[in-house]
Amino acid sequence: MDLSTDFMGLHLKNPLILSSGPLSSSGEMMLKALNAGVGAVVTETILNEIRPNVRPRLVKRGEGLQNIWLYTELTLEDWKREIGIVKDAGGTLIANILAYTPSEMAFLAKKVAGFGADAIELGISSPHGEGLEIIASHSDEIYELVKSVVDSVDIPVMVKLSPNVTNLTRVAQAAWKAGAQGISAINTVRSILGVDLESREPLLPTYGGYSGDPIRPIGLAAVATIKQSVDLPVSGIGGISSYEHLLEYIMLGAHTCQLQTALMLRGYSIIPEILSGLCSWLESHSYHRIEEVRGTALSKLKAFEEIIHEPKIARLTSPCPLEQCRMCVISCLYEAISKTDEGRIRIDPAKCNGCGLCMSVCPEHCFEMFLSED
Amino acid sequence: MANIRKVAQLAGVSVATVSRVLNHPERVSDRTREKVISVMKEMDFSPNALARGLTLKRTNTISLIIPDIQNPLYTEIARGVESIAHRNGNNLLLCNTEKDVEKEKSYVRMLIEKKIDGVILAYTGLQDEDFQEIMRKKINLLLCGMNTANKKISSVYSDFRNGAALAVRHLIDIGYRRIACITGSDRYIENREKVKGFIETMTGAGLEVYPHYLIHGDDDINSGFMCALKLQKLTPGPEAVFVCNDLMAIGAINGLQKAGLKVPGDIGVVGYDNIVMGSFIEPKLTTISWPVYKMGIIAARILLDEINAKPGEIQTQNILLEPKLKIRKSCGNIERVSEIFN
Repeated sequence: MDLSTDFMGLHLKNPLILSSGPLSSSGEMMLKALNAGVGAVVTETILNEIRPNVRPRLVKRGEGLQNIWLYTELTLEDWKREIGIVKDAGGTLIANILAYTPSEMAFLAKKVAGFGADAIELGISSPHGEGLEIIASHSDEIYELVKSVVDSVDIPVMVKLSPNVTNLTRVAQAAWKAGAQGISAINTVRSILGVDLESREPLLPTYGGYSGDPIRPIGLAAVATIKQSVDLPVSGIGGISSYEHLLEYIMLGAHTCQLQTALMLRGYSIIPEILSGLCSWLESHSYHRIEEVRGTALSKLKAFEEIIHEPKIARLTSPCPLEQCRMCVISCLYEAISKTDEGRIRIDPAKCNGCGLCMSVCPEHCFEMFLSED
Repeated sequence: MANIRKVAQLAGVSVATVSRVLNHPERVSDRTREKVISVMKEMDFSPNALARGLTLKRTNTISLIIPDIQNPLYTEIARGVESIAHRNGNNLLLCNTEKDVEKEKSYVRMLIEKKIDGVILAYTGLQDEDFQEIMRKKINLLLCGMNTANKKISSVYSDFRNGAALAVRHLIDIGYRRIACITGSDRYIENREKVKGFIETMTGAGLEVYPHYLIHGDDDINSGFMCALKLQKLTPGPEAVFVCNDLMAIGAINGLQKAGLKVPGDIGVVGYDNIVMGSFIEPKLTTISWPVYKMGIIAARILLDEINAKPGEIQTQNILLEPKLKIRKSCGNIERVSEIFN
């Protein structure tokens, strides 16, 4: 199966990329992901100055992770060697950089390009440690930052965007007009993961970035929005821990996908699992190349007025095998579903309004929608 | 006698690798570097700096010239420059001009005689003809501060007019209307820029700039204190004051409190610079922060790059570092969330 992907002019052996974060804090760390099979790595965010990290800075609840991790603790000089380690091993490396003015951003970009980076990702959308409005909120500022970098280096430049903005289309278009060759999305989402009831304290002492499984729907929507706004390759990020998730992003138009939280929580072994799962799925669906599935779901996204109003209601596809389960009954908003003492499901077609919730609530997938006769 | 060849032989590496450990340690793996260094220690080998300098036509020394060693701002720049110089195997010669242009010129002459590799002038009082004199001697030159004189010289600078505008806009947003300004010494372009920013923002918001509300200080704590005493005698008194640096702001808060005024209850105070002391006084000082340490870091990085560049490779870089509003307690801001994020 051919998983190779051309992304911003980089030829990657597969579309899976280690995203910027704690697991890309050194050359040795990035080699672990490369050896496990990823097509490229993105460095931890590189700055001119070091901002020391606080302890603790990570907390998990459910499938989600909040971090108040800032940026690299290595100097710019150190990164020359760290990037060299990845390049010497034949890896493809994207340097994530952060500066606050166009001239400073261009300075950093020239430096990391000189160290051998294959591409640059502008890390301008962290939800913590920066302003109330993230840097990537303002299209004119994005334009100036991107333009200065694009004009200064010969390697591709992509911009990492965040869902913490009011108009994602506008900021994506600013990056595009300024000459960005790609966009990655999404950065972590501003969050407070929870409050410890006994101590009455937030789980971490300041606002942080939310990542992991729960943010995937936000990432999918962002990728689709960007793909429908600009003609640029997109690297999808957010909640990817299986080949199905990767395929969802690709089907919504992503060229590549970045992951990190799943590796932190489940280890590097998920990289070969994702890649082999991806190959098997493509083979079983008679695809030869991953490119063939790209964007296949994106073209099916509709505007409300394009969705045909069909008089659909719910019906059973098979009898309910779970005697005690009443989830469909409880969740039916129109009280159309009832269960007899013998465990039989009854649907009142006059009451069913076709909302569809029963289909995804039922653990046994006993419901479907059909066009009612009336 | 130990020499570089014997070190290489014993460490099992090439002479070129030993040379890299000495000149570009960042290009050598940790393991090799440690091995070579341990052999050097064992053999009591230390490179002959003078001989290396002759070969490379380098002294491996750069200089930073600052106007006032007592001002924590300039020592922060020095800290940044020193960290990068040391990281790259260079010495730093620090010169303090005490804001005296003649002293600055004499330092430059001394540095030229010492064949220094490069000079960083921080907020210099020198003119373009002085810059050209340094460059004629093939000494690399870099400016910390706005470069209006010579397009061939790289610089790292901040925008003081915009910084002042951020401070004054913050006061206006909170609701203050009668706003005074304690200025710094107008010998310095950065102080003049701050006053321009103050006036532009006030008039832009349709507010009056009363001439007697401009009180002239001299950049230190004492003058801030004295200015505050003048300020509190004005009628009608100002509701808030923008002070052009934190040292004066700290002095001013002290003066206002001595005169029985509450800060920010009776009068709001915003400073400029974000020096460490500002977050330890009561009330904690709202101020404008600008990345001074980073300015030193970037200045040293560009200077060293230019020293190491081949002729014709140097591209002038003018790096702007934006100021940011640092909201604390001295202006009566009540939005805690903006204090956390800004």
